[in-house]
Amino acid sequence: MKSCLRLPLLTRGYATRLPQKPPMRHPDPLLKNPNTVTTSLPEDLTFIHRSPPSASTPFSYTINPTSPLLLTESPPAATSSSLPPPLAQPKLERPRLSDDKITEMQRLRVQDPKRYTRQRLAEMFGCSSAFVSYVAPLARSEKKAALERRERMHEKARAQWGEKAALIHEIRKKRKEYW
Amino acid sequence: MGHAQRRFLSIATKLPSVSLSSLRSFPPEGALATSSSTFSPETWAALQPPPPSALSALSHRIGLGSLLQVPELEQACTHPSVLPFFAQRHPNQKPPPANGNLSTLGNALLGLFASEFVAVSYPHLPTRVVKAAVSAYVGPNTCANVAKEVGAAPLLRWHRTPPTPLKPAVLHHDALSSIPRSLVALIYQRSSFSSARKFAHQFFLGREVDLRKMLKFRDPKVALTETVAKFGREKPVSRLLKETGRLSNSPVFVVGVYSGIEQLGEGFGSSLKMAEYRAAEDALHRLYLTRTPPELVRLPTLTFPEIDGDIFTVGDEAAYTPGELGTTEVRLGSAGRSSIIGPTTGIGPE
Repeated sequence: MKSCLRLPLLTRGYATRLPQKPPMRHPDPLLKNPNTVTTSLPEDLTFIHRSPPSASTPFSYTINPTSPLLLTESPPAATSSSLPPPLAQPKLERPRLSDDKITEMQRLRVQDPKRYTRQRLAEMFGCSSAFVSYVAPLARSEKKAALERRERMHEKARAQWGEKAALIHEIRKKRKEYW
Repeated sequence: MGHAQRRFLSIATKLPSVSLSSLRSFPPEGALATSSSTFSPETWAALQPPPPSALSALSHRIGLGSLLQVPELEQACTHPSVLPFFAQRHPNQKPPPANGNLSTLGNALLGLFASEFVAVSYPHLPTRVVKAAVSAYVGPNTCANVAKEVGAAPLLRWHRTPPTPLKPAVLHHDALSSIPRSLVALIYQRSSFSSARKFAHQFFLGREVDLRKMLKFRDPKVALTETVAKFGREKPVSRLLKETGRLSNSPVFVVGVYSGIEQLGEGFGSSLKMAEYRAAEDALHRLYLTRTPPELVRLPTLTFPEIDGDIFTVGDEAAYTPGELGTTEVRLGSAGRSSIIGPTTGIGPE
């Protein structure tokens, strides 16, 4: 015997559409493009020309070089109004270190290079570690020994890698060759 | 074509083949003797000169039929490695003239023509890339390929020599490369310096060489920063031009390198670092690969008179205006790179 229960109002008795993403409707790239040249042709036709958006070739002649470094005058059309956003934040300008601070830095580095490392001296004197390496470098033999010590530490760390980590490292190294 | 067939073909082309019609006597002495253990047909064949018809055909093929004679061409196709082999087998016969000196002279001429062409065509190219380009245009591999292309490979007389403490090994492509060099030297000797230059430009300097592959930098960003500083412009700044799919597994970023408001270069990549690297490389390529238009190329050797004879013959020199000198490339700091300690190298940056 069929049950003739009345369904309550809150449930529905009809099939619904399964939840689906709506189909993607891409906008026509030629419609509102500033780089296109549109011409109306007879018989209700429109001819739209857009040159391919590729980077200019690095090959050029000396009479008309591509590189702005070889052009003495900057083109008048260039304006600083709309430049694309920079990739990295600009490095903060630090004040120039005085000579006695530099001498102090050199003295400390020579005195105890293991304690007064580049990083530590950079923090102490408020400069970058690259600057410390320019201004207060180690002697050639000491530098070689320090690099060997670092390499041994890195090798010990690399020995801890599993197969997957080693594979990922090799893949990244190989990819970089193709940059 | 399978591996076995390719290997067979490469060996077969190197085996000597003798045309009987050009021999003075056949069969050779000692070949039919009962105790013929000392006679080897391969050795005998390797020492025979190529037929005069083949040498004449070669000279006509390269457009010099009226200039070069068969004995000179025979000399051009005889590598010096065959001389000790010849002396061993035929101690009583006079050894054939070899192309050692011709090859050296031709090599020097080719190096001159190639380096002036590359230096004038690409005035901003770094020195090491100029050297690599010269090797690509007239180096040993190219000379060997040119020899094969003009069909001089079966005409070569040589002997494979293992390396000794005094001399390097002589392999097939070393011996082959001596032929085009000797031809250049012969043209210089029989005709003129300008004819030799014309030959070099037609057979060597018209070949396609991709210089972009030779312009690789250890750190293009650092190289670009130093180059831009040398030109007295603002520091280069990388800017993101376009990106798509940043969080997907195949992102594409387009990064441009700017000096102030001018764009120096552009590069794409699947990561921001890669795109920046390529943009810096592109900026350097645009500078270094600037080429003089072919109609404006003025080679320095045009100052030699265009008359028959060697470079010491006096004659009317062509008018010559020197080309523009490019800016010298940056020499990146190489402190600590060489282990040679000289009076100027000390502790500290350069």
